[in-house]
Amino acid sequence: MAEQHDENLLPEMLPLYYTRHFPQNIFCRWLACGSNPKPLSNRELSFTLADDVYLRYLSINDQKEFQTLLQKKCPQKLDIGAVYNIKPSIGRHDAVVLARELVFDIDLTDYDEVRTCCQQAKVCDKCWKFMVVACEIIHTALQDDFGFQNILWVFSGRRGVHCWVSDYEARTLDSPGRAAVADYLCLITGGENLNKKVHLTNDLHSSIRRSLTIIDKYFEEILQDQEFISSTEGLKSFLKMIPDEALKTLVEGNLERMHKSSLERWDGFVNTYSQYCKENINAIRKMKYLIEEIKIQYCYPRLDVNVTKGFNHLLKSPFSIHPKTGKVSVVFKPEQAKSLKLEEIPTIYSLLDDGAPDNVQHQSNMRVAVKNFQELVFSLEKAEAIRRKNDANASILEF
Amino acid sequence: MDFKIKRKSTKTVVTGSLVENYPHDLQMYKIPPTENISLHEFEALALERLTLLRCLATATTLKGLRPYSEEWTEFVLGDLKTQGLKYYARLCEKSGCGTHDADLQARRKDHIAHFILRLAYCRTEELRRWYIARELELFKMRFMTMKSDAVDAFFKLNNLCYTNISDDEKNELMKYLRESTFYQSTQNIETFKFYKVKFFEVLDLVKARKVYLKGGYAYVPHKDFISVLSAQYRTHLRHSLAIACQHLGEIEQDERLVSLLKGLHQAYSGNDYISDTKVVIPIESIDSLSVKSFPLCMRQLHEQLRSAHHLKHGGRLQYGLFLKGIGVTLEDSLRFWREEFTKIMELDKFEKQYAYNIRYNYGKEGSKKNYAPFNCLKIINNNVGPGDCHGCPFRHSEFNILKNKLKGYGLEGQAVNDIVDMTKKGHCQIACSKYFDAVHNTGLDLGINHPNQFFEESQKLLKGEIKAEPKKESKPNNNIKKEQDNFEDMDLDEIAEWKET
Repeated sequence: MAEQHDENLLPEMLPLYYTRHFPQNIFCRWLACGSNPKPLSNRELSFTLADDVYLRYLSINDQKEFQTLLQKKCPQKLDIGAVYNIKPSIGRHDAVVLARELVFDIDLTDYDEVRTCCQQAKVCDKCWKFMVVACEIIHTALQDDFGFQNILWVFSGRRGVHCWVSDYEARTLDSPGRAAVADYLCLITGGENLNKKVHLTNDLHSSIRRSLTIIDKYFEEILQDQEFISSTEGLKSFLKMIPDEALKTLVEGNLERMHKSSLERWDGFVNTYSQYCKENINAIRKMKYLIEEIKIQYCYPRLDVNVTKGFNHLLKSPFSIHPKTGKVSVVFKPEQAKSLKLEEIPTIYSLLDDGAPDNVQHQSNMRVAVKNFQELVFSLEKAEAIRRKNDANASILEF
Repeated sequence: MDFKIKRKSTKTVVTGSLVENYPHDLQMYKIPPTENISLHEFEALALERLTLLRCLATATTLKGLRPYSEEWTEFVLGDLKTQGLKYYARLCEKSGCGTHDADLQARRKDHIAHFILRLAYCRTEELRRWYIARELELFKMRFMTMKSDAVDAFFKLNNLCYTNISDDEKNELMKYLRESTFYQSTQNIETFKFYKVKFFEVLDLVKARKVYLKGGYAYVPHKDFISVLSAQYRTHLRHSLAIACQHLGEIEQDERLVSLLKGLHQAYSGNDYISDTKVVIPIESIDSLSVKSFPLCMRQLHEQLRSAHHLKHGGRLQYGLFLKGIGVTLEDSLRFWREEFTKIMELDKFEKQYAYNIRYNYGKEGSKKNYAPFNCLKIINNNVGPGDCHGCPFRHSEFNILKNKLKGYGLEGQAVNDIVDMTKKGHCQIACSKYFDAVHNTGLDLGINHPNQFFEESQKLLKGEIKAEPKKESKPNNNIKKEQDNFEDMDLDEIAEWKET
């Protein structure tokens, strides 16, 4: 487990981190490629310095300028914004947004009402599994349904993940477009005043069926980790998701009697439900997908849709250092999400301290993360080159 | 957003007989009119179309009717006829390709008026959005009432062709098409014609998961074409308005037009609650006011703030702007939020992470716009996620929770049942109106479309400025008749959000 670190050391350590470890070159290429056809200098960056001094509307022309800026300002937080019609430092509020990657933000605090192992800022390998499920579901949907190819997944530094889609169609998608994608992916709706947040009707859409298949791969494991319905409170919340009073009473009766194991209780519930449906044909109309709805409410990704909908939100950059945890926002491959262990994620402290016990492992993991980033950027550059060539050919034909 | 540099295409200007120019009741306004008309006709046409658009807005936002439903259509057509706009009613009732002189004249007026209003509504983002929303409603309504032979003619005239998918492909995908396409169980999906279009052409269908997606393409059945068309139409309008805006300078050289164009929407905008309120509400009285005069949505937020000493972003925005609208000063606002939040956090953190946004809402930071409090439509359509308690309680709460809450407030049993009844039927604003009547012991049956309106009406009532009249009599207040413009003044995009890490 990581030792307690001293935030006061950050101002000394950050310049070293930026010079030795932050992949500046690839970073600039990623942003430049994503700013196409506008130059890199039209992309907004923002820095948060020590004492929460916030600088917006920053931009860079090239890597050299980026390096200088990093050394000079030594930001504690580095955020990425949109591509504007003019240099943001000149346009400021009046600049018009032209493009920005399609982004997603999934934060484990949004799972507080279902996760039992941790709450708020705390996070552990058990609740990390929710992120594994989320990555797989979202990644598959973005590829299979929307045809996106260039999808970057980044650990957000403490308790979540960010996703950046750099395909041209994604970058130039307007606000209603982003809203539509967000709504398509969003199955859990409702605030504190709603107990049952998932309602499935008619036939299950192919994407929902697919998501359930993915959830099923992990459901038992998560159920055992989290023991959703073992405690009295957990059981109570679970029962609130059952819309039929008679069934609810039946389930309550059966489950309360049982052993506390959530896995056993879940099986008990499934049996009770199936039996009930056989005996009450009418009930099934109201609750055809009750089991699926519950699984989704527990395990389906909880996106912050506002981040996706607004295309000039400033979002934390990959490879930033989280000031509270010291962890690097590493880039990971979605298929490797399950093997990601929180204490194996590199921190600024372990990277810069040769004597630290996890120094070797973290350095190695850092290299892997940078390599992941590099691969993605290379393929993005290739895709962009092909696209530009096709466009050029197409306009010749237009004559 | 198209970065391609297109050669400026010169569309051939069509001159000729009316029959040639206007072959169809429905058009997409691709070619501007070129004839000469009198100033008088210019003005008349503009005002008539404005009335039409207004009528649509009333149906959707004020009356809360579901767009394109029978009642909505009935209301719109009825209102148009009452207002003497028979030709618009004719165009909306059953679009076709008739060649009667009346049809041709109607189409001509429709054509010219559309372009005039583009000039009046291209000026600002808010105006553009209002105009596009209305024109889109109009377009969809007319498309839906089109006779089937007219539909084919329409497609031909507008060069609309989509990739019809082959039978082989359709059979391969039939399993997915069947489960993902939205259709009536009485219809036989195997007989549908499917078209492949890029997903962003049919956002309405994608949003609601009513269509099968694969590799970025949506497989749209013929009957859902309206979705494709309206997306294209919307893009076309946006683009056109941007162009119109660029030419505004030239047009404004003509004094005769300037005042007409500028004044058009003005004459008509309802109260948006951002002008300086004459009343300043002292923050100390906020607790009692929340019980007496706040609509339920704000009362709920206030209670949550007092008990949890925190509200998430959506709640802070909705409630904060409301407070501004009722007359709470910036200083008082800061004091109020600070007092609550510092019960669970350091003063430092509050100042750095929350105070900025409060000042921003009052127009003291950033782009310094004075943001308008949200109206009901915006609140009802808001996203409400885990941990949130903003939004409209008549939309975003479970019926039991709502019922218990209202009973807990001491409202009469019958009143509570009426409110919950309306909520179950989806009539949020009517439920709110009943809540108003229940809390004040009146039968005013107000048309609620803005939380600040609720507050004002309540205050007026409590101060004895209006008499509580029984339900049967006519509404005493004229404010209700004015449509609440659905100005989306505040874009979530515009705020540099402090991402709480």
